[in-house]
Amino acid sequence: MSSDPIGSALSLVGVDKRFPGVHALKNVSIEIRRGEVVGLIGENGAGKSTLMKILSGVYQPDSGEILIAGQPTTLVDAADANRKGIGMVFQEQSLLTNLTIGENLYLGNEAQFTRFGIIDWPSLYAAAARQLEKVQVDADPRARVDELDFASRQMVELAKALTLEELAAGHLVILLDEPSSVLERAEIDVLFARVRALKSRASFIFVSHRLDEVLELSDRIYVMKDGAVVADLSAADANAMQLHHLMVGRSLQAEYYREPLQKPFKDEVLLEVDGLSLEHAYREVTFKLHAGQILGIAGVIGSGREELTRSLSGFLPHDKGRLVIGGREARLATPAQAVDLGIGYIPRERRVEGLVLFLSVAANITLAALGSLTSYGLIKADAERRVATRWVERLTIRTPTIETLCLNLSGGNQQKVVLAKWLNAKARILILDHPTRGLDVGAKEEVYEIVRAVTTQGLAVILTSDTLEETIGLSHSVLVMRDGRITHRADAAPGRKPSQVDLIRYMV
Amino acid sequence: MGATVKRLRSGRLRQWLPLATLLLLVGLVGAFQPGFLRPSTLLQMAGDTAVLFVLATGVTFVIMLGGIDLSLQSMASLASVIVALTIARLGYSAFALAIGVGALAGLISGLAHVRLRIPSFIATLAMSGVQSSAALVLSHERSITLQLADRNYQSWITGTVLGVPSVIVIGLIVLLVAHVLQSLTPFGRYSAAIGAGEPAAYASGIKVDRQKIFAYVLSAGFAALAGVMLAGRLASGSPTLAAEMLLPSIAAVVVGGTAITGGVGSIWRTLIGALIISVVRIGMTFLGVNIFAQNIVFGAVLIGAVAITIDRSKIPIVK
Repeated sequence: MSSDPIGSALSLVGVDKRFPGVHALKNVSIEIRRGEVVGLIGENGAGKSTLMKILSGVYQPDSGEILIAGQPTTLVDAADANRKGIGMVFQEQSLLTNLTIGENLYLGNEAQFTRFGIIDWPSLYAAAARQLEKVQVDADPRARVDELDFASRQMVELAKALTLEELAAGHLVILLDEPSSVLERAEIDVLFARVRALKSRASFIFVSHRLDEVLELSDRIYVMKDGAVVADLSAADANAMQLHHLMVGRSLQAEYYREPLQKPFKDEVLLEVDGLSLEHAYREVTFKLHAGQILGIAGVIGSGREELTRSLSGFLPHDKGRLVIGGREARLATPAQAVDLGIGYIPRERRVEGLVLFLSVAANITLAALGSLTSYGLIKADAERRVATRWVERLTIRTPTIETLCLNLSGGNQQKVVLAKWLNAKARILILDHPTRGLDVGAKEEVYEIVRAVTTQGLAVILTSDTLEETIGLSHSVLVMRDGRITHRADAAPGRKPSQVDLIRYMV
Repeated sequence: MGATVKRLRSGRLRQWLPLATLLLLVGLVGAFQPGFLRPSTLLQMAGDTAVLFVLATGVTFVIMLGGIDLSLQSMASLASVIVALTIARLGYSAFALAIGVGALAGLISGLAHVRLRIPSFIATLAMSGVQSSAALVLSHERSITLQLADRNYQSWITGTVLGVPSVIVIGLIVLLVAHVLQSLTPFGRYSAAIGAGEPAAYASGIKVDRQKIFAYVLSAGFAALAGVMLAGRLASGSPTLAAEMLLPSIAAVVVGGTAITGGVGSIWRTLIGALIISVVRIGMTFLGVNIFAQNIVFGAVLIGAVAITIDRSKIPIVK
């Protein structure tokens, strides 16, 4: 790797960052050279976003150095990073759609056009037009952003990042955080062409889940795993499967996922999905879910699996096809309807959708089945206490009392409260949406144990997970989705588990 | 100042602050005006508090859910007009009619808020305008004094039960009913869940819209009851009878320690809040503060109480 200070635009040396309970970045060193596009990939939680936040001045590293053009520096905040030539194009677009393109481009930087507190609009819009020319967007800078399509908006974001040229002295480094996730293929081609054309003006760091796109656009690729950089590859020598392997990088351990406890599922069908479709999300999805079965759904972001799980839990009704639950055809318009049909949703946003943090453990456990604890319209306090105590004991929820607010529980125990809520509501189908996100290893194992135990008793589970390893390890069967369709169905009986490589080829 | 407010906002202290404030205020007023602590005076104060407490109780249900009802004072006034206009013909049914109109108004506000997705302060502000106008039109912009013959129907409000003013008994019954609703029924539990974490409540299968509509029905229904009580005490109905009561009612809820952002609170806190407002009002009267200037104090009290009770870490942006 070159240490030539003239060639280096931006580098991190030995950067470490800790949050309570998490070692987010471990001795990370990366370098971005002038005119280079560097890809940055890794699973959720690998440390990419922490790294990006350090580069854009949002977080400060605990130790290690940031060098711009070879000179050590600190980035106090986002504005400071901007002044030093680091810009960011956000994945959730940061443009204000009710303002014009020109207003957006110079939002917060109007001072250069301002005299006596009055903005000189003609000169601002003239400058904005010059910026749009750089990214070859043919639009009136006086047009409102909501009149633009997504691709043009992304270009305007890029143009906004490029306005830093006028502010910052040195070479620009632009962070592209999942810029392609909302774009169609043709739009992506345009974006990539513009990025390549701008390489003389700026270097880019490109973060994406789409490995093919990272390979296509980048000159060089850093792979992150568990907070560390595990590989630095030339894009020309890499392929998608190899990259995925580096990202995941663990071999399957049968014991970890309680595979010996994986019992064959029963013949009884609890949920049948036939040609289920939702426009712009998933198409022609067909499968059966049996009592005692864990069905894993694998796929990258944008594969449609997220929307499919939301449809099955009542948040996002499907628009075509048949959904049969417990022998009855249904269309789930609200979670309440799903709950009535015996479906329990364990969301990835545990603290938002899973629990009411400011209610007690007992109240959360009984929340989805309070009706069964009432007589003459009044809650039977004794019965509620007994029920809550029983679940706390059964799932070994570690809490001082059942009256403790869920706010004060650890993530793993919070997740057990969510599971207890659905088991208490006698849900027959559990939808596990990233059930171990943010949990430490011990807590994960406890969740696996509970999931195994309840499926042995005849519950059915649909699982989407952060890692392919977890999906394969836990599931009886795995569906692989890509671009809204099922591309592969794999049996995952103990001893005959598919390898990650077997599935990845159907994902990317 | 900032540090003090911060300390008050955190910890167990905050929970007991309203009660401590009430006792302190009673002690203060008693020290300056020893007559205040006589049982008869205290009983009189409790009677004066009853109407405010009933109004505040209704809106407590809405605030618990994270909403607001700005129509309670016009609902109470409208109810007094309805009673005054119909009591001669309907007798006791006039009270039922007034409270029924209240429940209906609450149902409409609730439906507008939930089905049309209109913020609750807009839905109830609009309803407030409708109610005020209806009261003005129905009463021909006049105060209607009850006929002597019709005042017999009011004895359940104006009389006494075992020496205790009836309004106090009504207030205690409202307290009991509200306590049961809030602490012992699924509705009360769901309200707390929705106020503290609506997405989780929704994902748990709670029919959130239904709970919200019911809360608005309760709020307007209790407001109508308060209007009926006022009409009885003043032996008249008027379109402006409760005009100055919105601010003290909401102040009572918040001063008692119920969070304006929802999820945390109870009817007991509202009781303490209503008593605090009453004691402050009496204190001001002793001090000779102009009665029309009292809402200046309540406005300041409301701002202070929200500043202390709100948890700003939960809401970075306040609109």
